[in-house]
Amino acid sequence: MGSHGSAVAAVPGRSVVPPPRPWTVLRRMTAPLSQTPGRLTAILAGVVALGLLFGATALVGVRQRADLVRGVTVRSGELLVAAQNLYRALSDADAITASAFLSNGLEPPELRERYQRDLADAAAALTVVSAATDGRSASAAARIAARLPVYSGLVETARTYNRQGLPLGVAYLQEASGLMRDELLPAARELYAAASAELDAARDRAAGFPWIATLLGLTTLGALVLAQLYLTRRTNRLLNVGLLVSTGAAVLLLGWLIASAVAAAAYLQASRDDGSAQMNLLAEARIAGLQARADEALTLVARGNGAAFEQHYVVVMEQLAGADGAGGLLGEALAAASDQPTRQAVETAIAQSTAWSAAHRQVRALDDRGEFTEAVRATIGPGDQTTAAIFNRLDEALAQAITYNGERFERKATSAGRALTGADVGFVVLTILILAGAVVGMQRRIMEYR
Amino acid sequence: MMSRHLVGRLLAGLLTVVVTAGAAGCGADDAALPDYQVPADPPRPVGMRDPAVVPSSAPNASESCNPRASLRPSGALPPPRQMPPRTAMARIVQRGRLVVGVDQNSYQFGFRDPLTGELTGFDIDIAREIARSLFGDPDKIQFRAISSADRIKVVKDGTVDMVVRTMTMNCERWREVSFSTEYFTAGQRILVTRSSGIESIAQLRGKKVCAADGSTSIRNIAEAGTIPVSVVNWTDCLVLLQQNQVVAVSTDDSILAGLAAQDPNTQVVGPRFSDEPYGIAIAKTSPELVRFVNAVLEKIRSDGTWTRLYNRWLRSLGPAPAPPKAQYRD
Repeated sequence: MGSHGSAVAAVPGRSVVPPPRPWTVLRRMTAPLSQTPGRLTAILAGVVALGLLFGATALVGVRQRADLVRGVTVRSGELLVAAQNLYRALSDADAITASAFLSNGLEPPELRERYQRDLADAAAALTVVSAATDGRSASAAARIAARLPVYSGLVETARTYNRQGLPLGVAYLQEASGLMRDELLPAARELYAAASAELDAARDRAAGFPWIATLLGLTTLGALVLAQLYLTRRTNRLLNVGLLVSTGAAVLLLGWLIASAVAAAAYLQASRDDGSAQMNLLAEARIAGLQARADEALTLVARGNGAAFEQHYVVVMEQLAGADGAGGLLGEALAAASDQPTRQAVETAIAQSTAWSAAHRQVRALDDRGEFTEAVRATIGPGDQTTAAIFNRLDEALAQAITYNGERFERKATSAGRALTGADVGFVVLTILILAGAVVGMQRRIMEYR
Repeated sequence: MMSRHLVGRLLAGLLTVVVTAGAAGCGADDAALPDYQVPADPPRPVGMRDPAVVPSSAPNASESCNPRASLRPSGALPPPRQMPPRTAMARIVQRGRLVVGVDQNSYQFGFRDPLTGELTGFDIDIAREIARSLFGDPDKIQFRAISSADRIKVVKDGTVDMVVRTMTMNCERWREVSFSTEYFTAGQRILVTRSSGIESIAQLRGKKVCAADGSTSIRNIAEAGTIPVSVVNWTDCLVLLQQNQVVAVSTDDSILAGLAAQDPNTQVVGPRFSDEPYGIAIAKTSPELVRFVNAVLEKIRSDGTWTRLYNRWLRSLGPAPAPPKAQYRD
């Protein structure tokens, strides 16, 4: 045959082979698709890919949701409780130190203990809050950390001078109270608002509807139905058992996904309405009560120079119970109360705040007449009709209601988590069924063409 | 327990990136630690103003009146409980107690003993002497703690029979109420820490000096070239002095005496640079009560009671001077 070159040249009348056109390549590649087995394989691949994507998205989604729901209870919920404790402990310290000054020189040991408890509670809560908050509200935590020792220093100075019988003690007490009200309490309030907002945000995230997974689920179902129709047309067999199993599993998975998300969202909503929202209202009411208590004591302690405190008392009492004694925060809490124990506690609180207002008028009348000693007796004296005794009942009723609603919050939030229990394992099993059903059902048809 | 989720974790791991690529964006763990600026300035008494609002010009000082001149007693004191009929004194005895407006915040003048809760001080004891002359019993008395701003109001509307509350007599006030003869001579001085080396107001030029809001003391220290800082109560000034927020406190030495008595590291220094004659305010409608009170004051000046009370309460101002001399306008 000689050389290769001459061999080519030796073929006469044959033109040079043209390079293949792009569409030719494409047609060659897709050629199997024009035949049934190739198409079936492609459909199978599409269904498997969609099913896998759907299952994985549902699984990742439900695991994320479980984490978010857990976050609502163990993180945001706890943070809210800590921020609330901080705010309450600081308000309580303000009220207690002022009350302690009403008893001459020697403060009652139980008030001293309560003050020390408040400082310890505030410090502990501040540590929790500082560790959990970031951004703008964290600087509020830093401000409290910086000013709390200054506050307690002023209180101790006040106490020392008071023990020596010097009016200077009252001046330091007022300075301490001013620091508390102008710097510490607003910062604590800021942290509390931030924690409350964080809880709401966490709850919203955890209660979001799984749109992507639902859309993927619907698409998978659509693909399965189309595959079934195609097979029916091509093979003249009415039903493909494998695809039927696959479709059933996809329907189940989609249903489970939506049901669990909706149930969790409903429990989360309940954890707000029947739990944390109530708790917030009650806590605000309790803090208003504490401030009014501090004002009442400070007005007396100021010895005739306490008009500003009395004005503040009127303002916070109106916040607490409204102008008519049945409105304000307590009125709101009563209207929002969704169960008997809460309603009962709030009703007690309203009754006590009305009694307090009456007793307070008595105290003011005595003090304004210059009968200081009698005014003090009507405040912290013996008996259960003193303003201190009435206040304690008010405070206790609110504290109980707060604890009760805190527990309700936890229960509902835990139920939200429970609504997702088993979903991950279930989703995996159903995904495997979707894939296995499709593969087994279609593979058999494909084999028939070989 | 995680092993049963193995398949799930595999699938999840495979597609997590695809599904959550947009949503993910965390990375807080490697963020720089925040840097907070917190205030380190000393706490302020509620209502403190730095610099203070200086009250407008002094009340018309060009008036030709002698604020020290009161009404002359009409003869000797009647025996206790036997007051001339239809007089203010008879009505007080009828009521069974003397009602007196006092301060409960001026240490040594009128204040509540924190240990007993009782009002006590120089003003209180003067008022008790009047009750003693009316009833023969210094305890037939009801004190009403009043604010400085209410002094004239409670006298005019009859809430109290009289006000004994470190009240300076001046011609402006004489138009509203009557005053007894002078029972204490006060004057504005300065209170500084013992180690400060300051001896007069001249050394306080450009420095922060504390006084109560709206008082005439503010005007005086502003005129002396200091930076006035105002607070609500006088005791707050001592707090500021102790916290090094002001260099001095300046007001009537009667009040400064009460502050100095609470902190042995402080002292009242310098000459008086204002003249504040204290009198007992009584309603203009009861001149007979003014004459009665002046008779009581005559008595306690002459029988040594005044000196005894001064030494009891105002020792931090030095040894007792002679009681102020009574001056009369009739």
